[in-house]
Amino acid sequence: MNILTIENLSKSFGDNLVIDQMSFSVPKGSIFGFIGKNGSGKTTTMKMILGLLKPSRGTIEVCGERVKYGQTDTNRFIGYLPDVPEFYNYMTAYEYLKLCGEITGLSKKTIKDRRIELLGLVGLDHNNKRIGTFSRGMKQRLGIAQALLHEPKLLICDEPTSALDPIGRKEILDILATVRGKTTVIFSTHILSDVERICDHIGILHHGKIILSGTMQEIKKYYHQDSCLIEFSNIHDRDRFLQATTIENLESSTTTDRICVILKSQALKRMMQEIMSEMIRLDIVPVKIEILDPTLENLFLEVVK
Amino acid sequence: MDQYIEYLPVIIPLFIIQIILSITAVIHVIRHPNYRFGKKQVWIPVVLFIGFIGPFIYFIFGRGDD
Amino acid sequence: MRPYIVFTKKELIEYGRTYKFFILFTIFIALGFMNPLTAKFMPKILESFMPEGIEIQLPPPSSLDSWAQFFKNVTQTGLFVAIIIFSGMMSREYEKGTLVNMITKGLPRQTVILSKFTASTLLWTLSYWTCFLITHIYTMYFWKGETVLELATSTLFLYLFGIMLISVLLIGSTLFKNSYGGLLFTEGFIAILFLLKLSHKIDNYNPLQLANQNINLLSGNLHPSKLKSPLFVCCTVIILSIISSILIFDKKQI
Repeated sequence: MNILTIENLSKSFGDNLVIDQMSFSVPKGSIFGFIGKNGSGKTTTMKMILGLLKPSRGTIEVCGERVKYGQTDTNRFIGYLPDVPEFYNYMTAYEYLKLCGEITGLSKKTIKDRRIELLGLVGLDHNNKRIGTFSRGMKQRLGIAQALLHEPKLLICDEPTSALDPIGRKEILDILATVRGKTTVIFSTHILSDVERICDHIGILHHGKIILSGTMQEIKKYYHQDSCLIEFSNIHDRDRFLQATTIENLESSTTTDRICVILKSQALKRMMQEIMSEMIRLDIVPVKIEILDPTLENLFLEVVK
Repeated sequence: MDQYIEYLPVIIPLFIIQIILSITAVIHVIRHPNYRFGKKQVWIPVVLFIGFIGPFIYFIFGRGDD
Repeated sequence: MRPYIVFTKKELIEYGRTYKFFILFTIFIALGFMNPLTAKFMPKILESFMPEGIEIQLPPPSSLDSWAQFFKNVTQTGLFVAIIIFSGMMSREYEKGTLVNMITKGLPRQTVILSKFTASTLLWTLSYWTCFLITHIYTMYFWKGETVLELATSTLFLYLFGIMLISVLLIGSTLFKNSYGGLLFTEGFIAILFLLKLSHKIDNYNPLQLANQNINLLSGNLHPSKLKSPLFVCCTVIILSIISSILIFDKKQI
């Protein structure tokens, strides 16, 4: 079952098309890594899911209900952690959670129980200071606590780790890992090591489109090909190299980016031999020849080319 | 002097309010040394000596976030 | 209903902990004491400005002078302070982005507006009537036995005028991300009211009369029934302002 389904979603600000016919879905119980470069439209997509922005076209469904802009009933299913969460500085964490609980319509007893549980989870129990005195990491942790308060089916975190130091990042990731199974998590980031650490599903956003999505295992398996990156000293060399018949005949997919070429093959050894003999024949001295590990980072760099 | 005795019931409470305002403001200035503008050395005389306006300006414009 | 009460409570806590209520309330209390005092002292002050040897005969101050001070100070100082204090009601939340969490938690947008209006009006009510009470007590004390006409009606008019300004400020603050936007919007509104005074025909409906005819009501120069139309306009403006603030905020990106 899918918690979130997005179909043909588009959003433009003036002439600027930020999201272009995007479609993807997030299955229940997953931790979904929503990956993209800065400015690729991650926050925009999230704000549309929350009904804070009006889509230009397309539909969003959360738990089978359609999201409407403005009056957002679907938000009762969702917990949201903004990239830089802002709270009322004059309140304590305890008071803020109470306010959130009351607004959501939880009973007094539930609020009390959940507050104690969540403040323990995020390590802010016994903290009676006002939120104004909190560090960034503490605010981020309080943000998770408030987002989980009403036991949402879907937790949306916008770049929860980007602004934090390594310790703060680890704390956040650990907290997110503990809710695995209870809550579906969508978590946007450009830090790929964070994704590898906790996500089981990913979607890569580029130029307003999801260009790759699926489970982490599937994707890694599918892309588990040996590939080789060659960097030439100039475009002329590159073109001469690519036009060579041996290279054209190689059973591989090729991606090029100016002076760089990535060649992929199931038989790495044979491919490397052919590449090198071809280079000698053509008298080309490359700047770099590198065998690429199938990491998420390489995968990402490859698909966003 | 006698003629002013008549006014004491007004002057005394007015004086007390002024004292409360100034003291609350001074305590806040000292305990929260981050202001939107100005320095401690400026704010203390401002809230103490510029009647009702000093504390008003401090709390509404000068006070930093907690 | 519960979100409304909860969010109104949050507003009141905010006014309390950011010292805004404290400032507003003490200034209105101070004004309450100052009104009768200034009225009492006024002849002496004027005398001291006169060159020596010139004698002028000033009538002894009356309770009417004390109330004249009340209406002058509340409209000039009191309302000014109140508007500055309330000017950030929406824009401050926009600036900081604090509403995002509340809205995504399911707080209905119109509740935000209604709570903001309720809380600020409550503060205005408390401050205004406390000021009134203090002035009233001291006026009775200094001018025993003197009475004025239509005191309740006259003060109620100014009170409603204050609520109208708060409601206009609410639109301004909802419209602009910057606190000064709301402030300028309200100042613009007041400026228009003053301009409308120029035309006698329109001035019959001008709600500004609720704030500057008060003394004429007290002295009996004007009958309250003459102010029916401004009163009607004032109430209409309040209701329309709240409705339009809700509509604007519904479309507002936060």
